Amino acid sequence: MNRINKKLKEDKKLLSIYFTAGYPKINDTVSIIQNLEKNGVDMIEIGLPFSDPLADGPTIQDSSTKALKNGMTTEVLFNQLQDIRKTVNIPLIIMGYFNPMLQYGVEAFCKKCQEIGIDGLIIPDLPVDVYHEEYQTIFEKYGLINVFLITPQTSDKRIHYIDSISNGFIYMVSSASTTGAQSGFGKEQTSYFERIGKMNLKNPQIIGFGISNNETFTQATQYAKGAIIGSAFVKHITNKGINSIKEFVNSILN
Amino acid sequence: MRLKVCGMKYQENIEQVATLQPDYLGFIFYENSARNFDSKNIPKVNKSIKKTGVFVDASIDFVIEKINNHNLQAVQLHGKESPENCNDLKHRHAELDSAPYPLEIIKVFSIKDEFDFSVLKPYEKSADYFLFDTKGKLPGGNGYTFNWNVLNNYPSTKPYFLSGGIGINEIEDIKRFAKNKASKYCYALDVNSKFEIEPGLKNISILKEFKKNLSEVLENKKEKAMNYNVNEKGYYGEFGGAFIPEMLYPNVEELRQNYLKVMDEPEFKKEFDKLLKDYVGRPSPLYFAKRLSEKYNTKIYLKREDLNHTGAHKINNTIGQILMAQRLGKTRIIAETGAGQHGVATATVCALMGLECIVYMGEIDIARQAPNVARMKMLGAKVVPALSGSRTLKDATNEAIRDWINNPVNTHYIIGSAIGPHPYPDMVTRFQSVISEEIKWQLKEQEGRENPDYVVACIGGGSNAAGTYYHYLHEPDVGIVAVEAAGLGIDSGESAATSVLGKEGIIHGCKTLLMQTTDGQITEPYSISAGLDYPGVGPMHAHLSKTGRAEFMSITDSDAMEAGLELSKLEGIIPAIETSHALAIFKHKTFKPDDVVVMSLSGRGDKDLQNYIEYFKI
Ligand SMILES: Cc1ncc(COP(=O)(O)O)c(C=O)c1O
Repeated sequence: MNRINKKLKEDKKLLSIYFTAGYPKINDTVSIIQNLEKNGVDMIEIGLPFSDPLADGPTIQDSSTKALKNGMTTEVLFNQLQDIRKTVNIPLIIMGYFNPMLQYGVEAFCKKCQEIGIDGLIIPDLPVDVYHEEYQTIFEKYGLINVFLITPQTSDKRIHYIDSISNGFIYMVSSASTTGAQSGFGKEQTSYFERIGKMNLKNPQIIGFGISNNETFTQATQYAKGAIIGSAFVKHITNKGINSIKEFVNSILN
Repeated sequence: MRLKVCGMKYQENIEQVATLQPDYLGFIFYENSARNFDSKNIPKVNKSIKKTGVFVDASIDFVIEKINNHNLQAVQLHGKESPENCNDLKHRHAELDSAPYPLEIIKVFSIKDEFDFSVLKPYEKSADYFLFDTKGKLPGGNGYTFNWNVLNNYPSTKPYFLSGGIGINEIEDIKRFAKNKASKYCYALDVNSKFEIEPGLKNISILKEFKKNLSEVLENKKEKAMNYNVNEKGYYGEFGGAFIPEMLYPNVEELRQNYLKVMDEPEFKKEFDKLLKDYVGRPSPLYFAKRLSEKYNTKIYLKREDLNHTGAHKINNTIGQILMAQRLGKTRIIAETGAGQHGVATATVCALMGLECIVYMGEIDIARQAPNVARMKMLGAKVVPALSGSRTLKDATNEAIRDWINNPVNTHYIIGSAIGPHPYPDMVTRFQSVISEEIKWQLKEQEGRENPDYVVACIGGGSNAAGTYYHYLHEPDVGIVAVEAAGLGIDSGESAATSVLGKEGIIHGCKTLLMQTTDGQITEPYSISAGLDYPGVGPMHAHLSKTGRAEFMSITDSDAMEAGLELSKLEGIIPAIETSHALAIFKHKTFKPDDVVVMSLSGRGDKDLQNYIEYFKI
């Protein structure tokens, strides 16, 4: 069974952390992953940086630009992750935009992910319909789970469609926004979380965008299986360095 | 050609035929037919096979019900359905939420030994395909072929289905037909009764044999190279589509479902035409450039888009899109701009309509294009600097897209070129197509013919070019020349010649040619002209390049600047530097003395004065 599915079966709320590979330093990737696992994070999204990250706010744009300047590429990332499964057991997901994968070759990319022990992918600009028609069989061949986003504007009908194509979890974007855009959840968001909760989807949901601290994490996980933190974590290591990961994770979980 | 197998009836037989992978399967919903499909469900078949419902003068409700129940992607209308009926059906279909793609409408006409092709004309807009069947006692399924030579006089460029009595004995005839001029627009073969054991029951082995013997004809799906318009999924050949994050889906989908419908409304057309006339100043003149023609010993006509209000073609599109935004109930307008031309054109129409306007512009461009920044501000727009990435046009576009993600309900994004996710490239192209619509009658007046020998335009994203080519795309005697910016030279590392330096990839929501690293990171182009300084090219142009329909040329900064100066001296017209790139081709390409070359003079040079002054030390 895929590590993601196994993790989702655990009887607890999940904390997933996003970081941009190659940032702050090109060779920080492995140590960030190891530290996150050691400090109790349940799942990790490794950001493959892209020059034009449309769905991201300033924090992740900035970390992506710097990572690329540091020399991060698809090839470099795969090399860094080559032995990651010798030390790390939690699910690992690569999150990135579609063009770099297309240039690497979608099948070659998926194959490499399987070799390394990557469990899934999140590709914000690969729409579910295109995935379904052109790429699903390739992803499945290499045992990868593809995760799709839904937003407060996604129609019920489309949510059911996305649910039917998904085989891991659904990434529930907390509000109509790019990453890192807001803090705290209002009534509008909680009623959206409730609405989705009542839809009885076959895939559990994990909430992302706008989660930055213990309060928002606790709030989000009342409605969903887990929550994803990205910008707040990237900001934290920008300010305090990668040695302060423990401090960050503790601040979320306690 | 493609293959359609029609008159399917029995579950198991349908599944068997589907394994042969025809392109279409037809189901007849007509009680009087021996092949009337009356089962509850059509079994699941491969998604690539289009399920087609065949109807004879049925009510719209009946057709819609069948589409809904059976997930039909196409309908074939065999009766006396009018063009209005076809349009109504399209609109009703677009309103269904179960309609991921526009419905394909195939209108049937019956032919015996001759045919009056003028009856097709009213259906040109409302039908996607024509189907020619043999005239006989029954509405289809008469079992013998008509005289295919009649199609030698086919006056349209619309792809058609060839039908009527096609069977295993026609294989040689079809091979001959496929080599013949009459088959140029033949999109598919439609077979039915000649492959039956009994009505509705197809003989799989004979079908298989037919398909195998005709494999050469059937595998040559040549309409791909022949159709330069967007298809129902938003692709031009392999380019286009909508690669957007889910956050943008509702907005883009709303636009996709509505744009054609809205553009078709008589009220919309009236308002658009009136504004183009009274506000923009159209039609723009088609000017015979006598001295320029003498110099290059050919006949050069300049389509004077520079005389439009705000000084370029950009306003054709912004007028169209602001009316679209109003129809969709949007109150807030965003746009990206490079040189500021599109920003000014957007700020202008927002002032005209009293709508809030926010223009994203790279920080570096804001510094380079101060006069246009001031114009936008005077017009009441807010100019927001794009501070990310390289802080130029591509980043301004990213920022506009991010704004749209953050404002999904009240905002319309007016994209300034024939780029972006479907339906933008097609919508922008249609709004700009007024350029070639006018060229046709203007040239007729002056030269006695609608078709020039060449149409020429410069390409940034490709909107003035798309508009200039649009009505000539399917006229094989009209050569298309596309002019890109070579910057300091193709191999200099400082260039924007996308068709040469670009590779297929995804930029700003569409699959097209773009300049990128081997790792798939989008690179920064360079051109002296801010309007051509874009790392991609619209998907239609990528397709024109790939298929060879257009000849792509690249022009350096210095050649362009010289050509701008030359036009000023020879004709008293100071062009925008973007346009100067197109003008520079005469130095590199020789035309015949009696060739008629129509060039889009996309903009005036006022905005570039400072550049010209510095370059020529005037
Ligand atoms: C005068 C002029 N011509 C051409 C262009 C290039 O754009 P497009 O390729 O969309 O026509 C621009 C863009 O700013 C322009 O201002």
